[in-house]
Amino acid sequence: MGVTEQGLLERDKDTMTLNMGPQHPSTHGVFRVLLEMDGEIVRSAEPDIGFLHTGIEKTAENKRYVHCIPMTDRLDYLSPPQNNLAFCLTAERLLGLQELPARADYLRVIMCELGRIGSHLVWLGTHALDIGAMTVFLYAWREREMILDLNEMISGVRMMTSYIRIGGVAKDATPQWLDGVRKFVDHVPGKIDEYESLLTNNPIWLDRTRGIGTMTKEEALNWSMSGPVLRASGIDWDWRKKRPYSRYDEFKFDVPTQDHGDVYDRYLVRVEEMRQSREIIKQALDNLPDGPYKIEDNKISLPPRDTLHTSMESLIHHFKLVSDGVKVPKGSAYVPTEGARGEVGFYIVSDGSNTPYRMKLRAPSFMGIPGMCQMMEGAFIADVVAIIGSIDIVMGEVDR
Amino acid sequence: MTNEEIKEQLEATFGAAITHAEVSPHGECIIRVAVEQLLAVMEDLKQNKDFDYLSQITGVDYLEQDREPRFDVVYELFSLTKDRHIRVHVGLPEDEPTIPSVYHLWRGADFPERELFDMFGFTVTGHPNMKRLIMPEGWEGHPLLKDYPLTVEEIAFSHNPDHKSELIKTQEDVKADPWA
Repeated sequence: MGVTEQGLLERDKDTMTLNMGPQHPSTHGVFRVLLEMDGEIVRSAEPDIGFLHTGIEKTAENKRYVHCIPMTDRLDYLSPPQNNLAFCLTAERLLGLQELPARADYLRVIMCELGRIGSHLVWLGTHALDIGAMTVFLYAWREREMILDLNEMISGVRMMTSYIRIGGVAKDATPQWLDGVRKFVDHVPGKIDEYESLLTNNPIWLDRTRGIGTMTKEEALNWSMSGPVLRASGIDWDWRKKRPYSRYDEFKFDVPTQDHGDVYDRYLVRVEEMRQSREIIKQALDNLPDGPYKIEDNKISLPPRDTLHTSMESLIHHFKLVSDGVKVPKGSAYVPTEGARGEVGFYIVSDGSNTPYRMKLRAPSFMGIPGMCQMMEGAFIADVVAIIGSIDIVMGEVDR
Repeated sequence: MTNEEIKEQLEATFGAAITHAEVSPHGECIIRVAVEQLLAVMEDLKQNKDFDYLSQITGVDYLEQDREPRFDVVYELFSLTKDRHIRVHVGLPEDEPTIPSVYHLWRGADFPERELFDMFGFTVTGHPNMKRLIMPEGWEGHPLLKDYPLTVEEIAFSHNPDHKSELIKTQEDVKADPWA
């Protein structure tokens, strides 16, 4: 529609442009999409992003490696440990660290899987809320609160944990924390059953999600979708299985897949992933090795705090690491990892100094948006929110 | 087909267009291609070597390293059906940073290629919807270039007609005195 000189509205085309967002509750942040509507049917969808742009990639070029870790928390703010891990793994590959102490890897795995469950709980709650099931939202938030409490116990922060560091983790797990995780592990399966009893066979839920936003195997690959979206389209691909990092090969877990690639299948895949994550945490707790929680090379990792008063060498190392940071050898690396939303990885170019020369985040939400808009074409306006919810975008990592 | 075989086949097919090729100990093949032959190499990778998944496209500005050519574009490609990984580097000169689009091969290139233009100012030819992605329309400059001012930017709207942003700090200033 256009406005004529007389101020009257004039139709100059058969479709109507509808603006959705950026302040729309079901866009999960500040995502704007311009919908070309033919009656109730979406003819084309054009995404508009950048409202949350904070220049993290640029900032990282002027920060030391250790300062980059808190920034990675703010990318995918619903599962921060996985961003920390992806960043630290890449830095460790550049540093040539082959293997970490087993306890460090196990603690990393526990934190990442707690992060995955927490992120999927937020997704489940908001996705169900978008479609109209309010109860699940309140239930999912209740369980997520336990994860935030556990985060606070181990790192002092509820959301932006920055717990995973280059060469290990920030501090050792206390027995109280391990008890807390065990309580959570025992508590959560019944709760997942409860969500499923509300949704999985619910006729309204089925009507709203089945056959909506369908994506075939070939389309999902071509549009660079990753994570649960890829697996719901029938591609059995999980970086934890295919390129095991952090000793993921020592855990037994299944990779759930579905065949139809619609909103309902993505729901099923994510719910099953929560169960599998719980299995991984349980195995990690049962087999948690003793020993150091980070490497003992004090050129990379801070020496223990209590040695500072007695050992001159510790003091020097501490001073050098805090004032100057880790010098990472020249080179570039990319380590793909499986985040809650899909493939998370940092491409880091190092020039041999203590700051990354270039840091690029491969964000699953960012890569997923064009494919998501493709799914919207031909869908009803009411299904747009279901499709956005099923991709599970986080604008923090889209805009960076 | 192992990484070694992929590397050898590429070198045999494209000869001098592949200026560097190696297989890293982490299971990835890393090649560097001349920009003129990029599309041919990409088509070959997609059609004959089953690289069906474009993971990401990255730009790197090597201004501070005095390297020729100044820019690099890095493609991260995987084959999810055959479990392969290749990283393709392409050098772009400073005076004419133009690169062909691979959107017709992998639809996933849509956003990353727009980001290349937005953040680095590269011209991507053949992309159907080439405009700024993250920065607003009409923004001047390309933020991820190394010579882009770092800390203070122009104030877009001001009631003071004489207003000028004076405090423009460059990355060199910050490197010289980080505490200033």
